[in-house]
Amino acid sequence: MIYAALLAACTLFVGCEKDSDGPKEPALVPDHALFVVNAGNWGSSNASLTIYDPATQAVQNEAFTTYNGYKLGDTAQSMTIHDNTGWVVVNNSHIIFAIDLKTMKEKGRITGIHSPRYLCFVSDTKAYVSQMYSNKITIINPKTYQITGSIICPNMAADSGSTEEMIYEDGYLYVACWSYGKRILKIDTRTDAVVGEVEVGIQPCALVKDKNDKIWALCDGGYEGNPLGYDAPTLVRINPRTMSIEATFTFTKGDYLSKIRINDEENRIYWLNNGSLYRMSINDPALPTTPLVAGEGFFYSLTIDPKNEDIYCSDAIDYQQQGILYRYSATGTLIDSFYSGIIPTEFCWK
Amino acid sequence: MKRILHCTTTALALILSMAATAQDTLDREVAVDRVEVVGRRPMKEIGVQRTAFDSVVLKEHIALSMADVLTYNSSIYVKSYGRATLSTVAFRGTSPSHTQVLWNGMRINSPMLGMTDFSMIPSHFVDEASLLHGTSSVSETGGGLGGAVKLATRPTDREGFHLNYVQGIGSFQTFDEYLHLAYGSERWQLSTRLSYASSPNEYTYLNRDKKENIYDENHNIIAQYHPTERNRNGAYKDFHALQEASYRTRGGDRLSLTAWYTGSDRELPMTTTSYAEEERMENRQREETLRALMGWERITSASKWHAKAGYIHTWSAYDRRVQLHEETNGKVEEGLPDGTLEHTRNRIHSLFGQAGMEQVISNRWLISAEVTAYNHWVRSRGKEVITENGSERLGYEEQCAEVTASTTLRWRATDWLGTGITLREELYDRAFSPLIPALFIDGEVVRNGGLVVKGSLSRNHHFPTLNDRYFQPGGNPDLRPEQGWSYDLGIAFRLGERKRLSAKGSLSWFESRIDDWIMWYPKAMGYYSPANVKRVHSYGIEAESTFAYRPTNDFTMELHATYAWTPSLNEGEPFSSADRSVGKQLPYVPEHSASAALHLDYRAWELAYKWSMYSERYTLSSNGATITGTLEGYALSNLSLSRTIALRWADLSIKGAVNNLFDKEYQAVLSRPMPGINYEIFIGITPRWGKKSSK
Repeated sequence: MIYAALLAACTLFVGCEKDSDGPKEPALVPDHALFVVNAGNWGSSNASLTIYDPATQAVQNEAFTTYNGYKLGDTAQSMTIHDNTGWVVVNNSHIIFAIDLKTMKEKGRITGIHSPRYLCFVSDTKAYVSQMYSNKITIINPKTYQITGSIICPNMAADSGSTEEMIYEDGYLYVACWSYGKRILKIDTRTDAVVGEVEVGIQPCALVKDKNDKIWALCDGGYEGNPLGYDAPTLVRINPRTMSIEATFTFTKGDYLSKIRINDEENRIYWLNNGSLYRMSINDPALPTTPLVAGEGFFYSLTIDPKNEDIYCSDAIDYQQQGILYRYSATGTLIDSFYSGIIPTEFCWK
Repeated sequence: MKRILHCTTTALALILSMAATAQDTLDREVAVDRVEVVGRRPMKEIGVQRTAFDSVVLKEHIALSMADVLTYNSSIYVKSYGRATLSTVAFRGTSPSHTQVLWNGMRINSPMLGMTDFSMIPSHFVDEASLLHGTSSVSETGGGLGGAVKLATRPTDREGFHLNYVQGIGSFQTFDEYLHLAYGSERWQLSTRLSYASSPNEYTYLNRDKKENIYDENHNIIAQYHPTERNRNGAYKDFHALQEASYRTRGGDRLSLTAWYTGSDRELPMTTTSYAEEERMENRQREETLRALMGWERITSASKWHAKAGYIHTWSAYDRRVQLHEETNGKVEEGLPDGTLEHTRNRIHSLFGQAGMEQVISNRWLISAEVTAYNHWVRSRGKEVITENGSERLGYEEQCAEVTASTTLRWRATDWLGTGITLREELYDRAFSPLIPALFIDGEVVRNGGLVVKGSLSRNHHFPTLNDRYFQPGGNPDLRPEQGWSYDLGIAFRLGERKRLSAKGSLSWFESRIDDWIMWYPKAMGYYSPANVKRVHSYGIEAESTFAYRPTNDFTMELHATYAWTPSLNEGEPFSSADRSVGKQLPYVPEHSASAALHLDYRAWELAYKWSMYSERYTLSSNGATITGTLEGYALSNLSLSRTIALRWADLSIKGAVNNLFDKEYQAVLSRPMPGINYEIFIGITPRWGKKSSK
């Protein structure tokens, strides 16, 4: 009798079935909205998408799963909007989802690209996909959701090579070779040939273009024991026409640099160093010595509102819970904060 | 290093010389752990919370791993990533690396990872298994913040030749083979066990994490559905060989040699959200491990001496590869080289030495002492990186030495009161642990073990693993050891022993606080790194009971049930004001777990019903109520029926087993699907040739 009671009691602790099916009615995505790409934990398939309305401060978490009825996947990396379609790259699911931004419903998907990271459009029918642990950049046709070709990056190991952030400008694609790399590649998008390269610092992880059409690359400097070397992180300004370095700003060795972003006027750049937010004008002769914002948390990622230069910094906290976003005015005053998903890693503005 | 070796050698020599002069009255061989000095309980069990597994449970059928045995016969949490995939265990709300695993006294936790994969331990290769909960592990080993799992092999107790061959055939084209050859005589015991298991492991499941699209001619999605998918990339082939030789001298010493080889080739199944093309992906783990152990043991009426030397060699490989291909407008161009996402080759050599003694003094005192030493050499090689000087592989090469000395004094103060104290000191590399004390006490409320109240208290210490300190990239050589205090209080009862109706059980309360809990988290540069970040407070209840009913000589019924309530809370400093993890249950630690196993034996028939339950597990440290934030609790049932047939020339056995009887759809780990109902049948033969009766 005691045993029967024990078994019955234990059974009560087993939760009831949850029905994750049945997507909700189509979402209403505001005209001006911030999409937060929450990477989730590697191998756990808990990536998610958050929609934030800067006007009303309304937050919709897990928007993809809510409106589609299935998971976004494993390790979401980035999102790019082109022609009112959001393209979400889910790295370890090896998929790129195209989402209708009016309804948040999937429009189509591209598979067959391993470990995709970022997407860069050059036209309605051509986009490039950078890849981690690959020496390849895949070319896709977004109209047909097909892979149309690829570019093999020269002098890059297939095992450990990586391509990361990309910028398209005036017929050329500029690609940061991040993991175990040192170079920025220049690719002619008419011929898909690599036509130039420049060696910057160790591991260029992020790129922006300023109003003078100069490219700024943030190099994280590697780490202790890195076979490629370990150096002070640098911020490098490149002339994309000549593929030459015009200026190098050197941080302190051991600093944790991540993300570089630019305002809509393309005259002020922002980055994160040791979890704090820094900013400088593109004409400043030296790096700032004090952060614009520090102490709210350990900032993990960053974006700038193209409308009003509000700054959004994410803190992944312990990387095992929903991260938080802090919204600041351009002067660094806290306006709002909200929780998104696990490891808010990238952003996209509609 | 020289000093460490010198100290160890001196200690070994001292203990061995003491052994040589020990009393020689060996024909009255009585195991010390069965010495019933006063009352009926062994002195070694004073204050100890131990769960011992019956050999029926270990030998139930040949397809079981120790992970299965622990799932259905204990309340400790077994976290499984899939069928024949990594399975770790955790006690009392701690992490898998806080469970020390001893095989014939030698620790077999991976020195790189700290944990043990229980899916790689076939239960048929284990003759004795027990759990030492929390504090109770301190008298056997250090570092078991949660506890220890003791596994042991035992020389055969039969004389003459013995052969047993079992073949199993199961769902998903699963094949298991097991061969046991044994020879026993007055002096010699030899045993060879071989097993081989293989399966493509392609069970199907409804994938609720995906939807397939149906398109019209303009590539518009017109319908979607959850696909039924196979467990992709989950094949496995595991081979084990265990050779034992044991010799008992006329003087009563026992010498033994045991060697266990494991060769495993396992694919790692794709997650439910992987859209990779299976035929172009390889995600494979291979391992070859040899564990060899040499031992000497002398047991007298009042003492026990032992010395052991062991060696473990592990070679392991992990490959995650993709066959690169060009695809242009749907046309695939083959023949391009592979792309490697992960490539790891690890080689570990571990040397082990141990010497120990136990001595009963004046029937009320039992003193024991043990010195244990390990030396690990690790070479870990990762992917190739092109550098200016050619190429280089990521990885590390390190060695470390561990020496542990412990002594335990147990005192049966009165007929009903027993106490014990253990003092342990550990040296890991160049760092000494603080002195680790453990106190044990128990009191007999009802005579002859009818009702015993017991308690224990200890400090404990867990050193970071080699990967924690040296992994490239991310290893943190500045990590501090995890450390904490724990205690438990409980009662144990026993009713109607050797009667038709009998019952025994225990109920205990435990509490522990662990500081400097190590956790890996991503760095800004894109890799993970460990840090001492949390303080964990665990407490709860563990209960266990066995009820047996034997109305006639040919019918027995036994029910064994366990239950644990395990709040395990993060009480560390918040990362920031936004941190919502403080005061919350640790991820992947169920608050409630339970198991039950019912065995009915009637003549040559045996029916076994096993049940296991884990309550919901949080996947987030904040216990946040997101869609993926919790994994549902689940209860599983297995049923088996077997019959033995005694022929003139052999004993035959046939067993049918149904796993996941109620076809429960569940995930033990996010996005790792588990199999639904599945079946296995086993046919065994034990020839009667050359067999004499049991001793």
